Amino acid sequence: MIVADKKPIEEIIEEVKNNEKILILGCNECVTVCEAGGKKEVGVLASALRMYFLNQSKEVKIDEITLERQCDHEYLEEIRDVMDQYDAVVSIACGVGVQFMAEKYHSTPIYPGVDTCFLGVTEERGLWTERCQACGHCILASTGGICPIARCAKRVLNGPCGGSAKGKCEIDKEIDCAWQLIIDRLEALDRLDEYEALCPLKDWSTDRAGGPRKVVREDVQQ
Amino acid sequence: MQLKRKFEKGEFAILAEIEPPKGVEISTMVSNATRVKGDVDAFVVPEMSNAVMRMSSLGGAMILQGKGMETVVQFNCRDRNRIALQADLLAAYACGITNVMAVKGEDPSFGDHHQARSVYDIDLVDLLQVVGGLQKGKDMAGIELSGSPEFLVGSTVDAGAMGKSPELVLEEMNKKMEAGTQFFITPPIFDLSAIEPFTKRVHLQQVNIIPTVLLLKSLGMARYMARNVDHIYIPDDLIRRIQKSPEKVRECVLIAAEMVNTLKAEGFSGVLLSTIGWEHKLPEILDKI
Ligand code: SF4
Ligand code: SF4
Repeated sequence: MIVADKKPIEEIIEEVKNNEKILILGCNECVTVCEAGGKKEVGVLASALRMYFLNQSKEVKIDEITLERQCDHEYLEEIRDVMDQYDAVVSIACGVGVQFMAEKYHSTPIYPGVDTCFLGVTEERGLWTERCQACGHCILASTGGICPIARCAKRVLNGPCGGSAKGKCEIDKEIDCAWQLIIDRLEALDRLDEYEALCPLKDWSTDRAGGPRKVVREDVQQ
Repeated sequence: MQLKRKFEKGEFAILAEIEPPKGVEISTMVSNATRVKGDVDAFVVPEMSNAVMRMSSLGGAMILQGKGMETVVQFNCRDRNRIALQADLLAAYACGITNVMAVKGEDPSFGDHHQARSVYDIDLVDLLQVVGGLQKGKDMAGIELSGSPEFLVGSTVDAGAMGKSPELVLEEMNKKMEAGTQFFITPPIFDLSAIEPFTKRVHLQQVNIIPTVLLLKSLGMARYMARNVDHIYIPDDLIRRIQKSPEKVRECVLIAAEMVNTLKAEGFSGVLLSTIGWEHKLPEILDKI
């Protein structure tokens, strides 16, 4: 899933302090799971903003809506009828949701309410960690199912870099060295011989090197 | 060329590290190197060690090379993509630098520009192969070069690093050798016992292993490293020796010189003297070798 983290309330206040009719818009998917932008967080943010404006003796209307998703037309259409009631929206979906809202509702400012961080997993409640950088050409088949692009600080494809100590990454003793994980895993799979093979040069043109990306699937287009 | 010749003849090579300045004031760098140039086969010019921004290795090496001193230029994959790496390799060779090392490059969080974004378009083993490719007359896109370089190629090996399995170190070294590496520099060695698990597994006659001999500058530095630098082993006896000595700096110089002589007797291909900022002490060490 896409992992996001709440923005500091001061930053959000700075974004919307001059507005009078604000919609806080949540999303029911990834950001709900990582407890940054779901219905519950919409409520918390709305209360915090109400409190702020009350202290400023300003009358500001703050409404709460949480959509199923903010990255599909059909869900964003659900609020078309009410959009003219607001002079600003704080979207606490990921950056994708914020942008799709902005594309759809061209004349309303849409502010981000979360910091979108990475593609990752819930290791335990309150701890999310990165797994994938969406490089556009997955090499997990040859690295024991552990991604050196997302999990090695240096994105070394023929690792380890030489800095790993006791299985930890040289940049942070709290972080596992991705290459130690890969070696351990290949060993468990009895495929350590694959570690000896040199990984071919990575073609980054499927990554950001090729500019903004798109996936076109004619077979499912209507 | 001197370095290559020494390796070929199996003679003991002396390398010394010379850091380029943080700034454009090059006179200290030049005079430190000039003072010992007769006793040093080549100067290794680090590429921004510990990710601290300073003059590039290529710049420093070109300056020394221009004054008739042989150098080893370093490249890492942190700051340049494949286009810039190839371009600067060509520049290095055309400026007379015939020795090149591929090094890992620390993460920017170690240095003085924490907010920098690293490149890592290719990795170190790729870089070694790229050098090989250029030497064969083609760039990474397969396009023919007009005139190709001919480098002596080096890299690092974690031999003697504490807490690393010697098998794994060997595996990494083999990968680099396959990619064309002709000499390897190790982390600082203060006691032969640290590197023995590694040397037992290689033939020192068949691969050029160059241990680093680091000049300790004080008792404090020795203690600090022994305690806090995980992968470096400094025996207690050595620390006691510095402690007992009335002239600690001289003792440290002596320790470095003795280490060089021990490594030479052991059959290593050479040493790299590293004095991190105390390059003016190089003549004293070299005197005792
Ligand atoms: S190889 Fe690419 S697609 Fe596969 S997990 Fe890593 S970053 Fe994601
Ligand atoms: S220590 Fe491991 S994870 Fe960290 S940069 Fe080196 S190879 Fe990558």
